[in-house]
Amino acid sequence: MCSIHPIRILRPLFLGLLLCFQSGIAADENQSSVEPVRQVVARAIAASSSSEQRAIVLSLKSNPTPEAVLWLNKWKEGAVFLHEDEQGTVTPVLLTGEAGSDDSQEVVKLADGTPFVGADGKPVRINPKEVEAAETDSGLRKAMKEVSDIAALANPDKAKRVRAIQDYAIGQNVEKLPALLTLKQTEKDPDALRALEESIAIIRLKSATPAERAAACKTLGSLHSLAAKDMIRSLLTDSEKAGDAVTASAARQALKSIEAHISTINAFGTAFRGLSLGSVLLVVAIGLAITFGLMGIINMAHGEFIAVGAYTAYLTQNLFASGINLSPFGVSISIPGFNFASGGDLYFAFALPLSFLTAALVGLVLERSVIRFLYRRPLESLLATWGISLVMQQLFRLIFGPNNVQVSSPSWLSGNWTVNDIVFGWNRVFVIGFAVLIIVATWLVLNRTPLGLLIRSVMQNRNMAACMGIRTERVNMLTFAFGCGLAGLAGAFLSQIGNVGPALGQNYIVDSFMTVVVGGVGNILGTVISALGIGLADQTLQQYLGNPVIGKILVLGAIILFLQWRPAGLFVTRSRSLD
Amino acid sequence: MSSSPVTSRIHGPLLIAAAVFLVVVMPAMNALGWVDHFTLNLWGKYLCYGIMAVAIDLLWGYTGLLCLGQALFFSLGGYMMGMHLMLMIGKLGAYKSDLPDFMVFLGHTSLPAFWKPFYSFPFALAMVFIVPGLLALVFGYLAFRSRIKGVYFSILTQALTYGAALLFFRNDLLMGGNNGFTDFRTMLGANLRDPNTQRILYICTALLLVGTVAGCRWLTRSRFGLIQRAIRDSENRVLFSGYATANFKLFIFVISAMIAAAAGALYVPQVGIINPSEMTPDKSLEAVVWVALGGRGTLAGPVIGAISINALKSWATRAYPDLWLIILGGSFVLVVMFMPKGIIGLPAQISGIITRLRRRRQATSPETTPPAASTEP
Repeated sequence: MCSIHPIRILRPLFLGLLLCFQSGIAADENQSSVEPVRQVVARAIAASSSSEQRAIVLSLKSNPTPEAVLWLNKWKEGAVFLHEDEQGTVTPVLLTGEAGSDDSQEVVKLADGTPFVGADGKPVRINPKEVEAAETDSGLRKAMKEVSDIAALANPDKAKRVRAIQDYAIGQNVEKLPALLTLKQTEKDPDALRALEESIAIIRLKSATPAERAAACKTLGSLHSLAAKDMIRSLLTDSEKAGDAVTASAARQALKSIEAHISTINAFGTAFRGLSLGSVLLVVAIGLAITFGLMGIINMAHGEFIAVGAYTAYLTQNLFASGINLSPFGVSISIPGFNFASGGDLYFAFALPLSFLTAALVGLVLERSVIRFLYRRPLESLLATWGISLVMQQLFRLIFGPNNVQVSSPSWLSGNWTVNDIVFGWNRVFVIGFAVLIIVATWLVLNRTPLGLLIRSVMQNRNMAACMGIRTERVNMLTFAFGCGLAGLAGAFLSQIGNVGPALGQNYIVDSFMTVVVGGVGNILGTVISALGIGLADQTLQQYLGNPVIGKILVLGAIILFLQWRPAGLFVTRSRSLD
Repeated sequence: MSSSPVTSRIHGPLLIAAAVFLVVVMPAMNALGWVDHFTLNLWGKYLCYGIMAVAIDLLWGYTGLLCLGQALFFSLGGYMMGMHLMLMIGKLGAYKSDLPDFMVFLGHTSLPAFWKPFYSFPFALAMVFIVPGLLALVFGYLAFRSRIKGVYFSILTQALTYGAALLFFRNDLLMGGNNGFTDFRTMLGANLRDPNTQRILYICTALLLVGTVAGCRWLTRSRFGLIQRAIRDSENRVLFSGYATANFKLFIFVISAMIAAAAGALYVPQVGIINPSEMTPDKSLEAVVWVALGGRGTLAGPVIGAISINALKSWATRAYPDLWLIILGGSFVLVVMFMPKGIIGLPAQISGIITRLRRRRQATSPETTPPAASTEP
């Protein structure tokens, strides 16, 4: 099955590469005495009777290489043409080169890949519409399938081989058993061996002897075979009907073991998803933990700073590609791009620092123009920053349009990693890694740099810090910019896992405030724990209720109740002052 | 912060004149054809918002509790009234069924039990007050008992509103889901599309507004109001003087929720639609802006703010649809920064600046304080 797949990809390339490809093979094959595979195939095509053709094709089973499958597929797809000269010699040929004005093309011989030259010394041209292609009948196709199945089992690529072994079990066809048993004696790879055992056991579920069926059940149970679950279940009902107690009890035990395994997988999967959701919360809330938690500013525009970061990533992506056209306020601006060849994967490395800087810059401007007048009036800062968030949202809409924009993920973010049937998506692993990185960086800045020392002192006691000669105005400015920069970083990060649009920030604002409040204001560690806790609770509820919205509402309710127990959050900053 | 007795003596007749204008003159001009039905309907909507603004001010301006859940109470009141109005549509709906259209659409064949009592108008009216009041009571009890205050209270009420909006967006709550309730026909037998019915609704709204302002004026000038303001200014001192501040706050929170709910109940028949987007935290914040712009800690301020911003919105969303949010957000920032006492406080602020300038000129020595800094407390 799967062996067809690579050939489909190869096909467009194939004709062009043919000439270089064939010379190498020819050199190899001259040294060995074995007949080259393509020559065998050519012989089979040229054979006179269908049964003779089948016999030659089946002879390939002794040497099941991917190359054999390739040529057989060419044959099956009708890409091999039969050229018959005046003497009646039939030569199987493949088309090559450009089609001429009369649709005819040059050809190469299938047997050795050399250009096919006629008796007159000129290259032979064939019009594919006029000359017949080599045909196949159902018996022949069955023989080809046998060869390609065996070839798939012998595929040197481990992943493909494992797939082929698993596919062998489909249909539980006892006739396929010998091939697997043969392979089992030579196979060295542990993954392939496991797949072999599983497939053999699945096929043996259909065995005539109860003891063998029971043994197969036992094997599958100990392998925690997910693929076999339905088959064991049907075996259980069948054997209960037939009164076969041995098989039935084995099947029941196997099912129990598999189901226990499934619930373990689900638990781990939920924990992993919860961890990654918690990391998302953490990344979006960490900036707020600085601006709100440390500085006490209710920055309702926090979400818009996230959006600033996301749009910066979008701009960077386009600058690395072919540029971008924007039309804010009816003015058309066209920014040319650098057209880097590998921009798709490279741009993100530049987008991250740029997002941080852009958002920090916007934050700096905001702090200088508005926030600094509102340090002593937290509720008013809430209103003013909400006004700013409205303005910023509308600006995004005017500049980038009201719809979501496309930010592509680097290719290395797709794909996943499977351990013991638990799937770890690369993007989720990236999410967690990124969160760890940001937390460590924030912790280092706050605890290991002179700026961090200043920030902490000003946040603990602004007046005392001012008395000690610290320029608190400047520290405020830098702290706010740092918090906003972290929000921008979160935006660049969110652009990889979700949509980027003018309302991007709105989706996260309530969550980020909740995270910071639950964690305890002014405490980074509290924010980390509360983000992970909320993420895990959310995913667990979602898993059990099967309903994301109800889960979310329950989490909000739980947070309100949690604050009954700890009104100041998980970690309280102790102080003797009232109010 | 609150208006002094001297200014309120001047404001008194003004307030009465405004009340007479809203309750008597506007509908009379409409009946005579000088004010068209659309404008009157629009004003009815503004006044509903004005009532909600007073409710917010009662909490924020007088008690220091910035609640971002007022839109939730407002829409809950609206929803309760909407349930009754939905049932009053009867067989006139698109599906010609006794059930509300959205239920037929979702495949229901019988009315859920909790909808049945809403056939009765008095029951629906009672629910308008009971449901939001009860929610406020439970939430307020939990919040004030554990002494959640200031910004935390705002954030929690915001989360509550957000959660409720998520819930109401769902179809299986059987409250109309995304689309909410609309297409109302009659109320107490009167056709809602008839201008006379709308005029009566407008008068009810104006009366409720005047009643609310009068009631709050009485409440805030009573001994209760004194404690209320004391809590705003220094809760710990009030607490240490032996007052159970939590109970005071709970009382005012529930009252405020009920006022907002009543406004919502009058809003729905006049506007003709209620859906979950009315209860998002953004709507609450918008209403807080009205109060801030009009002048918090006064009773006329919120009404002025609600009417002026919504009138501005009606005009700007048509004239400059792209810039409206920028205008709203920008004016918000400016008001917070430069007009901490809102429109009501503007005359006093301007005269204060003039006096200071005059004094500076007399003192000849150059003063370095900029005028903006003086507005900060």
